[in-house]
Amino acid sequence: MALIRVDHVEKGFATRHGSITIMQDISFDVRDSDFVAIVGPSGCGKSTLLRLIQGLDRPSAGEIYFKDQPVRGTCGQMAMVFQSFALFPWLTVSQNVAFGLEALGWEPERIHAQVERFVSVTGLDGFQEAYPRELSGGMRQRVGLARALAVEPAVLLMDEPLSALDPLTAESLREEILQLWQDPNLPPDAVVLVSHNIEEAIQLADRVLVLSRRPAHLLADVAVDLPRPRDRKSQAFYDLTDKVYSLITEGAPAPSATTPVPPNGTPGTTTG
Amino acid sequence: MADGVPSGSVDRRSEPPADPGTPRIGARAPASPAASTARRSALRAAAIYAAIPLVAGGMTLATVGLSGSGIASYFPLAGVDVFYSFLRMLAAYAASLGFALAYGYYAATHRTGERVMIPVLDILQSVPILGFFPIAIVFFVDLTPGSWIGANLASVFLIFTSMAWNMVFGVYESLKTLPSDMKEAAETFHVRGILLFRRVLYPATINRLVYNSVLSWTGGWFFLVEAEIFTTNGSNALAGIGSYLSFAASAQNGDKFLAGILVLVIVIALLDFAVWRPLGHYAERFRFDQSPSGEAESVAAPDPRSRFRRATSYVTQGVRAGVTRITTPLVQFAAITIRPARKPSPTRRTILYYLALGVILVAVWLMVIAIAVAVFHVYTQPIVGSVRRQILQLPLAMGASTLRVVAAYAVCLGISLPLAYWIARRPRAGRVGLPIVEVIASFPATALFPVIIFELIPVLTPEGAAILMLMTGMIWYLFFNLLSGMRALPPDLEEASRSFGLKGRRFFWRVVLPGIFPALITGSITAFGGGWNTLIVAEYLNSGTGHSLSLLGIGQAIDIGYVEPNGIPLMVAALFTLIATVIAINELIWKPLYRRAVELYRYD
Repeated sequence: MALIRVDHVEKGFATRHGSITIMQDISFDVRDSDFVAIVGPSGCGKSTLLRLIQGLDRPSAGEIYFKDQPVRGTCGQMAMVFQSFALFPWLTVSQNVAFGLEALGWEPERIHAQVERFVSVTGLDGFQEAYPRELSGGMRQRVGLARALAVEPAVLLMDEPLSALDPLTAESLREEILQLWQDPNLPPDAVVLVSHNIEEAIQLADRVLVLSRRPAHLLADVAVDLPRPRDRKSQAFYDLTDKVYSLITEGAPAPSATTPVPPNGTPGTTTG
Repeated sequence: MADGVPSGSVDRRSEPPADPGTPRIGARAPASPAASTARRSALRAAAIYAAIPLVAGGMTLATVGLSGSGIASYFPLAGVDVFYSFLRMLAAYAASLGFALAYGYYAATHRTGERVMIPVLDILQSVPILGFFPIAIVFFVDLTPGSWIGANLASVFLIFTSMAWNMVFGVYESLKTLPSDMKEAAETFHVRGILLFRRVLYPATINRLVYNSVLSWTGGWFFLVEAEIFTTNGSNALAGIGSYLSFAASAQNGDKFLAGILVLVIVIALLDFAVWRPLGHYAERFRFDQSPSGEAESVAAPDPRSRFRRATSYVTQGVRAGVTRITTPLVQFAAITIRPARKPSPTRRTILYYLALGVILVAVWLMVIAIAVAVFHVYTQPIVGSVRRQILQLPLAMGASTLRVVAAYAVCLGISLPLAYWIARRPRAGRVGLPIVEVIASFPATALFPVIIFELIPVLTPEGAAILMLMTGMIWYLFFNLLSGMRALPPDLEEASRSFGLKGRRFFWRVVLPGIFPALITGSITAFGGGWNTLIVAEYLNSGTGHSLSLLGIGQAIDIGYVEPNGIPLMVAALFTLIATVIAINELIWKPLYRRAVELYRYD
């Protein structure tokens, strides 16, 4: 069963200058134990798509299903990690991590135990009483991660979570995210990661969904079959990176959602 | 509660507890210094709030023993009067706080409400507050005949109107500028209703609320003292520091007057040190305007002196920033009309929605009643001949007052512009001079009005005294806005000018003035607002003994309407004339100027 099914989703906005279509005819599945990355040129609507999946916004056309139920309002079994961390500066680390649990109505003891568990898991031990402004960027995002995991979501949605961090911190966090996903005793089951970093996508994900320029549609669903841990310097890795990169930069409309268009067009057709 | 769990001796690196129901009491990592500092500050603030009456009482007792020393003998009397004034301030502040949270929350979360509520507040803030005071007195005194409650309620209401609007805007702006990712995070985790308010919305407003509270109290003292002085015109003189000072001055009792000033200064300084500074430090925690991915900030140093200095600069920054933030309603209004249309946000009906709605309905209902009573008075009283004459003179009176305000404004400009320029260019002078200026600015100048009126009129002529008094109500708005405008000038502008050979006076006229144009306009708007508000005490004061002051003007008309029997129609007519004129000036002159300033001269 597909955990998430995105079915011919379209999204447009009305502005002063008329209406803009941001994305059209987006369809894909996210299955249990998937690690899916969504990449595409800047401004193509990747983050918007993630918000549609979470339920923060409604598609203009089409439907998004979670476990075969249409998503109405934010879905409680999906949790999001934000690019800018979205921590509350007046709450301690513990209080930030407990943020979603309070809303679920858990008793304080249960909340406390859960918070301790995920503070530990994300390497924040000793910082429970610290405030976000006292933490470095990497630590802050760990808090964001712990907060998302604490509600034990089936799917973890990540909106460019490492873009705001320096490369070294980002690298270590990447490893941690992978370990969390691979651990069967810990949430989540599946991860949907939005990134503008192609290497990051290929390093982490099993499938890379490539979006085109606006109005975005699905250019390709690239399978990443490399065994983990992945070697960034291997030829196979380079080839995949190249493939995704040329898909993004050339971005011609694809006849179907799963076959990428060769850069120079097929014989007998013209490309724009 | 589980047993067998040792408290305080848990290895932080151990595995998560196997039993999820076990609370680990006392097993906490050492509290971060910032958290405990903030807690201690808050506790200290609370303790000092309680200590103020104790200190005042102690002072009273101490000086009882100092008989014979002239000034000190008046301390008990002055202390009691200051205490009454303080109680009025406290009551008004509490009401403003509740009102601001309700109104600001409602306006920020309900789009349809916002369209009405913010412009309404804009107009309310333009209306000179003190104009309402005589009507408020009549209204409340009628409500509670024969007791002291009426006049006191009126003064509390007056201070409330001086505090509430800018606090509402503080709440409203905080909620509006809450980063969208925080709102999304709340939505993602289904945090709603009371929990949302407690964890997200209310903390988001704390920083601005503290800033605006400092400002509100500064303005509040000004208006309260002014109102109390005003009541000495009639028979209902309020027991408070304003009337104390007024009677002392009119009786030419220098010792008594000085004692009053001293006690007032002590109380304001005490509040500043004991309440606003710790609160300002505490409120730092609630700022959310820092870059999200920045470096970790160093924790507040444990050294008490540096902490004091940081808190000091925060609060004085707050006073300074607060004065410039009076401009908020007009900024808001201009911004609403310039900003492109946004997506509509979903509205949600929560308990807080109904609570806020209730508070607003009660406030509106009360205002409608007040207006109805005023109108009723006007129509049921015969308009006596002398009163009618004065009503017909109103346009002339309004013109005279306007001229006075413009004259005071010109002098203020002549002083503040060079002063601000000088301080902005010499940071060292600023570091010393600015705190002094800020301390002076936080003291209600109206406390000195009795001296100006009773002692300086022979020197300054009545018109000169009136203009001097108007200036005290105007100059700080102008000065601090100009200063902040000058400081905001990018330094590379000056470097570029110098490289093109633009120096001295040409630099000033061609670069600095256009650069600070928006600040100049907002400073002028607020200065004029301050001027209108000072009119009723600057143009007329008749406490019975000593000199009296009575100049043709709209303030005088309002006062005479209050004092004379059958004068209510005059008072109401004068008030409406004032409001109409001020609103006309705002709409026809200031707002277009401000919009132009924002469009042309901003460089961000």
